[in-house]
Amino acid sequence: MTGLQAPTEAASPGLYLHLPFCSAICPYCDFAVRVGDRERQRRFVETLVREIQTVTEDLPPAFQSPDTVYFGGGTPSLLDTRQLERIFFWTAKEFLPTQDQARVFLEANPEDVSRSSVKSWLRLGVDFLSLGVQSFDDRDLAFLGRRHKAADARRAVRLAAAGGFETVSVDLIYGLPHHDLESWRRTLETAVELSPDHLSCYELEIHQRTVFGKRHARGELVELGQKRQAELFLFTHRWLADHGYPAYEVSNFARSDGQQSRHNRKYWRHVPYLGLGPSAHSFDGRRRWWNERSSPRWQKLIRSGRSAIAGSEELSDQDLALETVLLGLRTAAGVDRADFHRRFGFDLVERNRRGVDEARERGLLQVSSERLIPTLEGWAVADGLAASFEID
Amino acid sequence: MESIRNFCIIAHIDHGKSTLADRLIQRCGGVEEREFRDQLLDSMDIERERGITIKSNTITLPYQAKDGQTYQLNLIDTPGHVDFSHEVRRSLMSCEGALLLIDASQGVEAQTVANLYLALEYDLEIIPVINKIDLPSADIERVQEEIDSDLGLDPFEAVLCSAKTGEGVDEVLEAIVQRLPAPLGDPAAPPQALIFDAQYDMYRGVVMLCRVKQGALKVRQQALLMHTEKEYEIEEVGMLQLERVKLDQLQAGAVGYVIAGVKSVRDITIGDTLTDAKNPADEPLPGYKEAKPVVFSSVYPIGTDEYEDLTKALEKLSLNDAALIYEKDSSAALGFGFRCGFLGLLHLEVVQERLEREYGLSLILSAPSVRYHVTLEGGEMIEVDNPSFYPDPSEIQSASEPYIKSSIMMPERYVGPVMELCRERRGQQTTFRYLSRDRVELTSEMPLAEVLFDFYDRLKTVTQGYGSFDYEMLDYRETDLVKVDILVNHEPVDALSQLTHADLARRRALHYCERLAETIPRQQFKIPIQGAIGGKIIARATINAYRKDVTAKCYGGDITRKRKLIEKQKAGKKRMKMVGSVEIPQSAFVAVLKSEVGK
Repeated sequence: MTGLQAPTEAASPGLYLHLPFCSAICPYCDFAVRVGDRERQRRFVETLVREIQTVTEDLPPAFQSPDTVYFGGGTPSLLDTRQLERIFFWTAKEFLPTQDQARVFLEANPEDVSRSSVKSWLRLGVDFLSLGVQSFDDRDLAFLGRRHKAADARRAVRLAAAGGFETVSVDLIYGLPHHDLESWRRTLETAVELSPDHLSCYELEIHQRTVFGKRHARGELVELGQKRQAELFLFTHRWLADHGYPAYEVSNFARSDGQQSRHNRKYWRHVPYLGLGPSAHSFDGRRRWWNERSSPRWQKLIRSGRSAIAGSEELSDQDLALETVLLGLRTAAGVDRADFHRRFGFDLVERNRRGVDEARERGLLQVSSERLIPTLEGWAVADGLAASFEID
Repeated sequence: MESIRNFCIIAHIDHGKSTLADRLIQRCGGVEEREFRDQLLDSMDIERERGITIKSNTITLPYQAKDGQTYQLNLIDTPGHVDFSHEVRRSLMSCEGALLLIDASQGVEAQTVANLYLALEYDLEIIPVINKIDLPSADIERVQEEIDSDLGLDPFEAVLCSAKTGEGVDEVLEAIVQRLPAPLGDPAAPPQALIFDAQYDMYRGVVMLCRVKQGALKVRQQALLMHTEKEYEIEEVGMLQLERVKLDQLQAGAVGYVIAGVKSVRDITIGDTLTDAKNPADEPLPGYKEAKPVVFSSVYPIGTDEYEDLTKALEKLSLNDAALIYEKDSSAALGFGFRCGFLGLLHLEVVQERLEREYGLSLILSAPSVRYHVTLEGGEMIEVDNPSFYPDPSEIQSASEPYIKSSIMMPERYVGPVMELCRERRGQQTTFRYLSRDRVELTSEMPLAEVLFDFYDRLKTVTQGYGSFDYEMLDYRETDLVKVDILVNHEPVDALSQLTHADLARRRALHYCERLAETIPRQQFKIPIQGAIGGKIIARATINAYRKDVTAKCYGGDITRKRKLIEKQKAGKKRMKMVGSVEIPQSAFVAVLKSEVGK
């Protein structure tokens, strides 16, 4: 290592497992997802177990004893209990021999939530249940091509909340072409009435290769205007803060610090994480790599005893510094100046005196001797703000 | 001479002209099966892809007719688009007859009629050919009716064929031999040959394509170009098969090529007459008319380091395309470039595509403009096609703009929407006549400038693809001209200024403002984008300080993607043009200006 210091927070690594199956592909989704029958799922799980076993044969120290394990997708809740059990069993066996303190995160779709599934997830040790609700409005749900209704979503949140998970989180999407403040506020109101511990609110993005992307290219789908999008963004943050859910990241809101997503925080703080399954990313503090995105190709590689890594990059100090800024500016904690100085050898504010002053005058940044903290308006332009910093 | 037939094929776009040409060539054995490429005569990639012919090609075919005699058929290919009508005329003048090709399912369309009138103007013998009879949607009876009612030709003389399957192609060849006249002309008279096209050969220089009307052109003859009064020694003559075939001479009635050490197509003029300098003809053949550009646009390289390449590419391109004119231009926003003149929108697009494809350039073109006549207070008339040279309004007495006579043919049910479109486009004297019970031809006199902006697309939309369009230049008429400037953060962006009719200024300005507001990256503060005439603001939009992508997940730890995006943003800043305190990326210009050029 070329004089690079690890981030201050001495933290255990995170583990991410990607389970790509969905019952249908949502028209806006550009993640590595696929549909598959039981048999395919079974074969997938076998392969994932094999990857777990192979990787842990010679696990680098950076990834030992993870204290968060995240099952994402896709729709992990789609897998039947036996398959999930199998993954959990091997994960625990190979990664967590002594660590029973690891927090387990699971993504689930409302239609998969039932009394019995809640029970079995709890039994498996799930602490943080992230529900892909997306909206509490049937019109939104139909537009998004979701398979559940608003009533199912409400029922799912209630069941989960009653079940006794440490954290229940609700994922929502806003900025649909027909959204206005009124319709979106109704969804937020419903969400808050159900009092989950955590909320994630993302704005609808139209990605080229998706169904929406194609409809957009043909002119059949028109994006919500920029002005309205900005309104909704600001409204979401203000309204949720007023109702007890302050944002700790640009899209994430929690009732208390303890309810924040400890796993996702690792991504934002350069804490090492290991990703398994198709398309999963890993980071060891200096290098980042990612698995083959296509599930069949990933399976073929793993099954033939080869590595499924599709690409990797060595991050230079400059890359790490830029990421520190861009990730820091997405969080409520902002960028820790002393920590930045210690890691990269210069003071971010001094190097960018003019830009920082300008951003402060425009009300985008708060600057103290310890931290650079974005304001809400700053968050709205966080990417541009990050790009304006000189870091070389 | 008795065994020569000079003919061309004229047709509306897409009616299968190139396919028929290919089939005739194949039938006459002009080409081996394995060399046979579809649309053989359309040699440029762009022509092949778009299925249109831009530069005409010519070929001589030996044909053994049913009467046992071998004929020499000279197929003179003509370009299929109104922009190139000057070339069509020259080609027509070199023929005695024409195949008028009509699609069996589309029927008679605007260009069919326009082409027929042109052919009749030159006294050509016409053979109507109904093509694509193999299509399930072919309606031969209806097309025959249209030939009678729309064209005034005898429908029973029409030859039925399918160039695709080859059905009826023999009948077409027989009709050429039997129904078209052989050329006339005194072989002993002083030579007179019409240059109807020219190609550029890297090794030989300009290859002139000629129709010899009388006398003969021979190797080592001192040739005189009668209009330009230049002399060249003929190095080589011959006929065009798939390759050039050398001959000793080209005699009266023949169609062939002449190479005479001419360096650039600019040195000659299509339509000029070749004669013998020592024994000249009394007068040149008619047909000499310079092709005048009517559409103008500034062309800038996206990378400033590509300016040299653009210069070279234009030089090379113009060796082959005498109609393309260009001169240096520069813009504060886009740097150095060239102001170019084109024969029409298609010509503009073709040049742009060739520059991008054949020379690997990335270009930005400013909004196309027509050439206005501006009369100054002192009474002096100047021509303005570039907004940068638009005089101060206080010095202007009046302005006029070019008008065209447009002809649109369509099924009757679209008359309403099309009339509305013409009205919207300042069409005057709009009239229509029934060609048959349910087909209508609508003519309208409208400003050429109106056709430059998405007219074709709109016409296609309102007629659901059934409308066809053709036009001819008419005259200049007085207009209420204004210059619209686009201001970004209160600073004018010169490359976006444009000349337009006062009534349209607001709409156009608003269009630009909105496109810009969508494409200039969100800044960290609000920025006004305004359209103005002089000091008066007529349209506005705002770039909001917001970027949606901040809420995108850094999903599953894929931070790399995010960082790359931001790195790109940082790098992009280096290629942005500063206007006021706003950085405008090249892509914003491309997006705004791209949306302009109609198809």
